[in-house]
Amino acid sequence: MLKLRSSVVACVLANGCYSGAAAGPDTDVADDTVTGDGGGDTGVGACEGQDGGLADRARLRRLTRFEFNNTVRDLLGDDTLPGNAFPSEVIGNGFGNDANAQPVSSLLVEQYAAVAESVAARATETPERLAALAPCTSTVTDATEGSCARTLLDDLVSRAYRRPLAPGELDEIVALQQTFRAEADFAGSIAAVIETVLQSADFLYRVEHGTIDAEGRLRPTDHEMATRLSYFLWGTMPDDTLRAAAEAGELSTPSSVRAQAERMLADGRSRPMVRFFFDNLLPISSLSALERDAVRYPKYTGAIGALMREETHQFLAHHIFEGDGSWQGALTAEYTFMNEALAEYYGVAGVVGEEFREVALDTTQRLGVLTQAGVVAGTIHSNESNPVVRGSFLVQKIMCTQIPLPTGDVLAEIKPPDPDSGATARERFSQHSSDPACVTCHLMMDPVGFPLENYDAIGLWRDTENGVTIDASGSVPGTEGTVDGPVELVRKIATAEPTGRCFALHWANFAYGRTHAEEDSCVQEAVTVAFTDSGFDIRELLVTLTQTDAFLYMPAGEQ
Amino acid sequence: MKRPTLSRRAVLRGAGGIAIALPWLEAMAGGTRVGANARRFVSVYTPGGSVIDNGAGENRWRPTGTETEFTLSPILAPFEAIRHKLLVVDGLSMNSAVGEQHQAGIIAWLTGTTQQPDYGYSHGPSLDQVIASIVADGNVLESLQMAVRWGTGKSHGLLHPINVVNFENNATFDPIPPRLDPQAIFDSLFGALDPSTNSDLAARIARKKSILDFVDRRYSSLGQDLGARDKQKLDEHLDKIRELESALDDMIVPTDICLLPERIDTSDYNPTTGLDSADDGSVLNTQTDEAIPKVGRFMMDMLVMALACDVTNVASLQWSDTEAKHTFPWLGLDQHHHYYQHDGNFRPMECEQIVTWYAEQHAYLLQQMDLVDLGDHTLLDESVVFFGSELAQPPTHSKANMPFLLAGGGGGLRGGRFLRNEGIADPSHNNLLVAILNLFGDERTSFGDPAHCTGPLAGLT
Repeated sequence: MLKLRSSVVACVLANGCYSGAAAGPDTDVADDTVTGDGGGDTGVGACEGQDGGLADRARLRRLTRFEFNNTVRDLLGDDTLPGNAFPSEVIGNGFGNDANAQPVSSLLVEQYAAVAESVAARATETPERLAALAPCTSTVTDATEGSCARTLLDDLVSRAYRRPLAPGELDEIVALQQTFRAEADFAGSIAAVIETVLQSADFLYRVEHGTIDAEGRLRPTDHEMATRLSYFLWGTMPDDTLRAAAEAGELSTPSSVRAQAERMLADGRSRPMVRFFFDNLLPISSLSALERDAVRYPKYTGAIGALMREETHQFLAHHIFEGDGSWQGALTAEYTFMNEALAEYYGVAGVVGEEFREVALDTTQRLGVLTQAGVVAGTIHSNESNPVVRGSFLVQKIMCTQIPLPTGDVLAEIKPPDPDSGATARERFSQHSSDPACVTCHLMMDPVGFPLENYDAIGLWRDTENGVTIDASGSVPGTEGTVDGPVELVRKIATAEPTGRCFALHWANFAYGRTHAEEDSCVQEAVTVAFTDSGFDIRELLVTLTQTDAFLYMPAGEQ
Repeated sequence: MKRPTLSRRAVLRGAGGIAIALPWLEAMAGGTRVGANARRFVSVYTPGGSVIDNGAGENRWRPTGTETEFTLSPILAPFEAIRHKLLVVDGLSMNSAVGEQHQAGIIAWLTGTTQQPDYGYSHGPSLDQVIASIVADGNVLESLQMAVRWGTGKSHGLLHPINVVNFENNATFDPIPPRLDPQAIFDSLFGALDPSTNSDLAARIARKKSILDFVDRRYSSLGQDLGARDKQKLDEHLDKIRELESALDDMIVPTDICLLPERIDTSDYNPTTGLDSADDGSVLNTQTDEAIPKVGRFMMDMLVMALACDVTNVASLQWSDTEAKHTFPWLGLDQHHHYYQHDGNFRPMECEQIVTWYAEQHAYLLQQMDLVDLGDHTLLDESVVFFGSELAQPPTHSKANMPFLLAGGGGGLRGGRFLRNEGIADPSHNNLLVAILNLFGDERTSFGDPAHCTGPLAGLT
């Protein structure tokens, strides 16, 4: 499981740490392999001869818990989030959808069976639920039962499998239903088929067989393309419009795929996908469960944590879908979203009611998403703010610059500083700048984290710590000059070259269900160029990701 | 394609569900089963090591005395009643724990391998999985993994190297998710034994068989059309489906030995607290920490019966994870364990309170295993139980002088002893792992990363 996450820094120092600006294999790709004009009907960045740029990619992608929940909701009207009973996904690419990091445990398969049983029972428990699957069930008689079952199953199973049924396949499924019917009533026999279908590979995995196009290249069938689009942009199964387009053979060209992507992004169903993405990119998914001392932080509660998370999502949804829409803009926006309770938490006056609304920031203290309380609190896992983990998050997750772990004897001796060893974090972590064993690596993190020291462990502003004025100066590796305070810090990060590249990389990993590797360089470079050219437009980036060889074609390696 | 089911349970079932004394051929010597390979393996993980140095130079964990004449330390005092079956293994270093300090520790504990780069998982299978492949005997489950109050801290809902103990014995050493929900565990393991839930058991089994049979055929035929890699993926899934299918043929039967554990109410315990599995993030449940003691005991009772009923021969129990971000209200400790380890400066008193409580729990588990009478020996006697952590001393993350405990009599393991291992040529804990493996009749001389293994540790038998 080779993991080459991002821009690897070039200069290796004697003690094994890196320093200098992020630059590496991604930028080494020769420009002449990239033809990404995005115009006409050619897609973005042709990478022919590279197997669609994703040579070694598995074709099977298993539904994540998020996708499973959405799919049973759309297929059967089950909104109980039953997939949450499954064991967590492994880390993989951070989104749980890395096709090469989806091991099957005994527990998972056992839970698939248990969840399938309960979902199937709910879907058939009342005449109304049954009628929602096929209206014929409400007037079913002995004489019509056979044809009604056939109608119901044809529709249900083809939607569950996200493809038309193969010749003879419906007969097999009807025969299965008949077997169950011998021991159960009509509803019970349908439930048993649903229970079966929900455990089938055709449902749990996105299976792609592909088809050879006129140019002799292997590409997804139109139904498979509908599925690619739907799980990427909506995190769920294709809707009727996509199915109709696939049925009509209208998903074979880059422009038709683009048109669908644009329609889908404009649709509200793309919001939960965006929310899921940022829940996994930013440290905001556990904000309602931060471990904080109630005496020291009386203002923090689980409810406030949930509101902080909501702030980030409301802001991003507005910024992306109604605002300027650029990533750089999100990092430097002069506004955010709050409701009354959250405004009170921040000490902002004049916000009334539960509804979140746009609020102008005091731009001497905050600017953009990275300075929101939840984002600066979420990286901290104790009562003490920690410039190392905050810096590490920004450098590694937002700028995709890897910092190696210490090794050997250094590692064995590391411990967090004694909370009583200094009034401010800068004092407590002073060993990092004085001890030669620490300094090289920590120069990559601590100076990025120190400017955020103006926020305490629950994300609130402070000028002093233990009575001592905070020195919030710092710098960003790979950029010129220094910064003073969080606002200057995020301005610097927003314009640093690795930031846009890194954001595009995370999205590509999410969209393609992979962890970036060497062989993806051509596609990745094309995406980055297009993203940069668009002024870092996030919506355009999502459309661009459907226009690459990686999305439009399949690796020819294995058939 | 089904695995052979010539299990001891099959013998029992053949005898009409009456427990009969089986023809054990091995000589018995005070709980030690001389000449017989160990049959069961239990691994129990607790976070945060122990108190090897309380800040005043005092080791609160290490017994005093000689190998056979020794006094248990304050932290190990709860084992007094079962000390004759306990082997204290001191002095070892977890040298293969290379990587992030906590993550590399929990990964190395049972694998003896280093952490994969970039905050990855292990470089090898965990010992329990290797043992499972040796001792599996037509059981319903080849191995069982359970965890109490798991997924705390920063794992953000994913199976993370900060919380994984078990790794598959396959080419990619996939991390294995533990079972978290005590009620679901009960239903999975003992549902068929529960008279309140099995009224139409035969019909239910028939339906499940038809379903799995159809699903099985779908996985087989779909794989034919795909490339080798994807086919392998489906085959792995299919293997697990066949485990479920064979479990339906292999329902457990209550006996004098195999008893239904008492199902307790755990509605105040949210097993996914910390996992953030709810979309809205509203999973914080302040009751959950308070319920840990009763849930832990319930899990241990189920673990013992899973072994006694031959549901499995290999079980793993995790108390939390290396983050250990939960409180201990029943001990009067309202900060989380990591806070006392070092986040809030090292607090040796509180750490000692916590690890002593874990020792009490483990002593309970051993005693319960020892109460299962298999005729001329107990369940504990034919088992090897390994108790460990990801580090030894919390504030430094030191992995020297690991606080390891073995218990049982399987494979000739001799309890009632304290192995100080002072000054031995190679204190690497990989040598202990391979020595444990040898108790199961596997004769290999190295386990895990060969750079950290020089041969089996002497003195277990």
